[in-house]
Amino acid sequence: MEPKERIPVSLFFTCLADAFSPGVCHAAVEVLERFGAQVRVPLSQTCCGQPAFNSGNRKEARAMARKFLRSFPDDGYIVTPSGSCAAMVKHGYPVLFRDEPRMLARARAAGERIHELSQFLVDVLGVTDPGSDFTGKVTYHDSCHLRRGLGVVEPPRRLLRAIPGVQFVEMEESDRCCGFGGVFSIKHPQISCRMTERKIERILATGASYVTSGDLGCLLNIGGLISRYGYPVKTIHLAEILAGGARGTSPAAADAASTDPLPGSLRATGDR
Amino acid sequence: MDERESLLRRLPGAGKGRTGEAGAPPPERPLLPADIPPADRFAETFTASGGVVLRGTVEEALPALGEALRAEGVTALFFPEDDEPARRAAEALVPFGPFTVTTGVQVRGGDPAVTAGIRTADAGIAETGTIVETSAGGKTLLPGLLADVHVSVLPASRVVDSLGDALSPFAGDPPRNISFLSGPSKTADIEQTLTTGAHGPKKAIVLLSPPERAEQE
Amino acid sequence: MELNANAFGRNSRKSLADKGLQEALGRTTGRFSLHRAAAVAAFPGFEAARERASRVKQDVLDRLGAYLERFIAEAEKRGATVHVARDAAQAREIAARIARDEGVTLAVKSKSMAAEEVSFNEALEAAGVTVVESDLGEFIIQLAGEPPSHIIAPAVHKTREEVSRLFERHLGEARTDSIPALVAMARKHLRAKFLSAGMGVSGANFLVADTGSIVLVTNEGNGRMGTILPRVHLAVAGIEKVIPRMADLPDFLRVLPRSASGQAISSYVSIVTGTKRPGDPEGPERMHILLLDCGRSAILEGKYREVLKCIRCGACLNACPVYQSVGGHAYGWVYSGPIGAVLTPLLAGLPEAAALPDASTLCGACAEVCPVKIPLPDFLLELRSDARDQGLKTPGEIAGMKGYAAVMKRAGLLEALERVAGALGRLFAKGKGIAGLPYPLSGWTERRDFPSPAPLPFRKQWKIRRGAGG
Repeated sequence: MEPKERIPVSLFFTCLADAFSPGVCHAAVEVLERFGAQVRVPLSQTCCGQPAFNSGNRKEARAMARKFLRSFPDDGYIVTPSGSCAAMVKHGYPVLFRDEPRMLARARAAGERIHELSQFLVDVLGVTDPGSDFTGKVTYHDSCHLRRGLGVVEPPRRLLRAIPGVQFVEMEESDRCCGFGGVFSIKHPQISCRMTERKIERILATGASYVTSGDLGCLLNIGGLISRYGYPVKTIHLAEILAGGARGTSPAAADAASTDPLPGSLRATGDR
Repeated sequence: MDERESLLRRLPGAGKGRTGEAGAPPPERPLLPADIPPADRFAETFTASGGVVLRGTVEEALPALGEALRAEGVTALFFPEDDEPARRAAEALVPFGPFTVTTGVQVRGGDPAVTAGIRTADAGIAETGTIVETSAGGKTLLPGLLADVHVSVLPASRVVDSLGDALSPFAGDPPRNISFLSGPSKTADIEQTLTTGAHGPKKAIVLLSPPERAEQE
Repeated sequence: MELNANAFGRNSRKSLADKGLQEALGRTTGRFSLHRAAAVAAFPGFEAARERASRVKQDVLDRLGAYLERFIAEAEKRGATVHVARDAAQAREIAARIARDEGVTLAVKSKSMAAEEVSFNEALEAAGVTVVESDLGEFIIQLAGEPPSHIIAPAVHKTREEVSRLFERHLGEARTDSIPALVAMARKHLRAKFLSAGMGVSGANFLVADTGSIVLVTNEGNGRMGTILPRVHLAVAGIEKVIPRMADLPDFLRVLPRSASGQAISSYVSIVTGTKRPGDPEGPERMHILLLDCGRSAILEGKYREVLKCIRCGACLNACPVYQSVGGHAYGWVYSGPIGAVLTPLLAGLPEAAALPDASTLCGACAEVCPVKIPLPDFLLELRSDARDQGLKTPGEIAGMKGYAAVMKRAGLLEALERVAGALGRLFAKGKGIAGLPYPLSGWTERRDFPSPAPLPFRKQWKIRRGAGG
């Protein structure tokens, strides 16, 4: 794809990926650049404020939301490899600022411009084949915020199915909550794990080697149980599958390859 | 009256007299495929709810009806005194049991016989497979309430398309009881296992008589 | 019913360990959900009916006073006596007074969540009335002395063995493992009650304003019996149950049974209006309608008013993965699942039920299935924020949040902490997962590993990459 103009995109790389899975962030950059985006990474960004908002701590959430809005330019796309973060900006920020007209207007504008990665690739850049060399049998978990919050159901599937090396299989109850729910996983760990177990049962029933999703929180939750009990499946973020294994050339790749969070999780180089 | 006044004063819109038109519901778009006669559609939907439909005149249906009642262990029939088609059906049915004839009053009094209650339906609803029975004109509802098997005599001419069609005759001035009956009494309260005959009839049968030979009344 | 909502944590753990309950929950809620999905798919008009039902309910909220006024006038025109109870105590007092004035000693009752809210049965019993629940599920749990665990399947947690034992002990019936036989026993026993009771008590799925009618939607047929055979009929309903016109009923009948249990229509819909007319062979001579405020008018005035659109279908319970895991008792009151997590704090007070809004992952499955489009996840979020405003959060949580926000305000500070964490992770966890986190995060690591922080956060890696011309 040789676009005449490169589309400017600001990457919102998310605090979770920043701290625990930088590979996801690198992968997002890679895929976006592959399809003609000019990716800027504003380094003053921190966190969208979801954990505070979801737990009812709106004062703190507002502080983080203001920081977010200050960190990104007032125009152009914002793309993030996280359904829940995009949903937070789109739906949560207008609630946070409902009594502040000026901030509300800025929040709404940002909400229009922010996209989750797969949604952006398919709906804005018109990508039909991600050009990834990933190989493996993959099943997909619909994260709640991506599916119900943003209405993004088909784009991840379309992209996964287009990858020649990917054997895509749908799991039953793909849209059933994995039990993460942010603070819920700490406040109600038993219920949370029961829900995660059910999700893992459905994953294992597909025979897939990998489960992927557009939300790192879900994957760390599912991956955490997999790791503890040694289930024969690996978690991998959607961005890493889309980027594929051809990242050996960039200098940061070596670093990225060593930042995989969990013993059971995979480097984005596909099956050995 | 005090508490009522106090409540109404707190609520929006009270004390302003008429409630007004309040966004009248949009006209119902036809819900049913127009090329299926309502009676046929009724037969489908009533059966889907677990009911049984016997088509034809009462005479034609008698053998099947008799067999169905015997299979449920029915020994006695009852019907409303003023319901001619039900009376004729019951009397013609007696030899197919054989069945005895009892009355609603006796059943209400605790008659332990296994009964079939026969009543002419006031209408049928094709959309949902529903028998409509009302108390208008002093009609009894005991057959559908107390019998072990409920038999409705439904002339095809009385089948209407939709729920709205069934309710519109009563706009403004409904009789005391309007009952919609769609199949037998059901429960799944024990281990989510569907069973019929919780309180109402265990079996619901409709004698759906064809339009050309619709019963009088 | 007694409130025990703040014990949700403890009660939910008990539920998870209860094998019988877990089987029953798996059987019920999953099936209801599948049936609902199939019924909706089979009916192309569902979304349109849902939209209309939602709008009608919204209109009802905007003009509740006018519609209630009309309902009361029409019902009384046709022989009913309408009572209004401000709170549960008043409701109980009115109920007992009605029973006494009407000389009732035996009452047969069909399903009413509203009556359960105000501990109606206890009030009647204190007035010397025997109250028999006639909904099979309610009958079973009445014998067992337990509260209902699901809006439409109250005995979902009971096995047939347990039911048979109850029937043996209380009804003198022989033990059996045949469910049809058990149903037949209940039918026989309750039939006798219906025929001899002085009063039938019912709830009301809908109150029709333009005719003063009560609408009951059931599958068993007990609603009809109780409102037609006894001499007195008492209907108990929340004030929000009103709909403007008889002509509005079809859309609600299209969405309610499908949402509740996947049926196109329930076996019985009874529309009863006033007392027996001259010439009617059956019907109550006396009719009383007890309308409950009990906190609803207060909700109407506030930001949660849309919760009053609820038609008590139970679809949100069936869809909720948390409810599916723990069942209804864990929520500690009459209403459970997502609607309970919102209604209980609103009706009983947030301090008494602050645990409930947290009992959710905010997955949104409930909002997807609500036939009247109540924004339940939004309300759960709002209640969590109210809890903070009302001082119901622990100092630890607030301090944690403040600390978290303080770090997130400064990218430089965040990066420094991430690099320290990364170094510690490399040192102690050797890059593998962490098996034990300190309180308050220890909940995570009970049964899950937690990732070790990356040696270098992405933001630092990006700086390096940019510096290297990447």
